[in-house]
Amino acid sequence: MKRREALEIIDEAFSDRPLVMTCGAPARELASIAKRDSHLYLLDSMGLAAAVGTGLALAGRGPLAAVEGDGSLLMGFSVLPTIHALAPPGFTLVVLDNHEHASADRMPTHAAVVSLGSACRGIGLPTEEADDRSGLRSALEDARAASGPTVVVARIEGGNDPDVPLLLEDPVTIGDRFRRFLATQEDEG
Amino acid sequence: MSDRTWASNAVVEGLLEWGIEDFSYVPSSHIAPVVRPLQERGVRSHLAAREEEGVGLAGGLVLGGRKAALLMQDNGFGNALTALATFAKAYHIGMPVVSNTRGGPGEYNAMIHSFSEAVPDLLHALGIRVERLGPSDPEGVWQSTTRAAAELAIVTRRPVVVLLDLLHPGIGEQM
Repeated sequence: MKRREALEIIDEAFSDRPLVMTCGAPARELASIAKRDSHLYLLDSMGLAAAVGTGLALAGRGPLAAVEGDGSLLMGFSVLPTIHALAPPGFTLVVLDNHEHASADRMPTHAAVVSLGSACRGIGLPTEEADDRSGLRSALEDARAASGPTVVVARIEGGNDPDVPLLLEDPVTIGDRFRRFLATQEDEG
Repeated sequence: MSDRTWASNAVVEGLLEWGIEDFSYVPSSHIAPVVRPLQERGVRSHLAAREEEGVGLAGGLVLGGRKAALLMQDNGFGNALTALATFAKAYHIGMPVVSNTRGGPGEYNAMIHSFSEAVPDLLHALGIRVERLGPSDPEGVWQSTTRAAAELAIVTRRPVVVLLDLLHPGIGEQM
C-alpha cells in the first residue's frame, strides 16, 4: 500500500471529524488529496500529533484521529503509555509505518527491527495492524466506533509521492480554519 | 506544611481565579505544592511523561475549548522548546506554562543550574513571554501575576511562562 492510498482511506474515514497530521511529506500528500478545515497540519512539530490529538479528545472532541509516521512516533514514543493511562475517549492514533524517515532522505528508523504494533499492544492499547487497503478501511471503521483510544498501524511502502506541492500556509491560518471547524461541530452538537 | 507554602498557594489561587479547567504536568517535588491542591480542588489533571508531550496535551485541550495550562519544572524546557515554538507559539495557542525554577539561591543540586539558569534567556530568544515571581514579591502579587499571566496568554493567543523561584530562602522568611 502506498502512503497516498493510505492517506486517502484515512481522509475518507475521518472526513467529518478532526484529524491531526504529522509534519513533512505525509502532510503535503494529505493536503494534496483534500485540504479540509478539519485537518490540523503540524508543520514542524515532529512527534507531537499524538499528544495534541489526545488533548483534543480529552476536551471531548472525539471521535478524532491523529496521524504519525513510524519515525515521528519513535521520536515521541513516551506518548503511548500516556495515551493508555489517560484513555482519551474516541481517539484513534494511526501510524503510517514505512520503516524509514521518508521526509529525511529515506533514512531508516528502528521500526525495521521493532514491531510497533506489538509495542502498542504490550503497553495495553487496543491495536490493529493493516497492510492493505481493505484491512486499513476495516481497522479505521472499528477504531472510529470504539469508545476508548485505539491504535491502527498501517504498513506502507517507503518513499514520497513525487510532484506534491509544498505546504506553505501560515500555521495561524491552519489553526484558525481548524478552530472554525470545531466551532461548527459545537453548533451542530 | 512548610513555611513557604504561601507562595505556591498563591499560584494555586491565581490559577483558580483565572478559571483553570485542565492542566497537563510533569512531576517535580517543587511543583507538587501547586499540582496537588489543584487536583484536590477538582481541576482535571493529565500526567505527561515528557514536557513536550505536556505542551501537546495542554495545547490540544486549549484548541478543544478548555482553559488549560502546563505545570512543570524549568529544567524540562530543554524538552519543551521545540513544541512551544513550533506548535503553541506558531499556532497561537493561548496557554499558560507555570514552572518552578532551579539552580538559584537555596539550590541543593550541584549541576541543575547549568541548564536552569539559561531558561529565561532561551525563552526570550524564542520570543516567549516570561513573568518571574520571587522572594521580593508579596503574596498578593504572586496570585495576581499568575492570574494575569494566564489571562495574557488567552488575550494574546500565545504561551506565557510564569517562573516561580520557590526554592529561594527568602520565600521562607516572608511569613
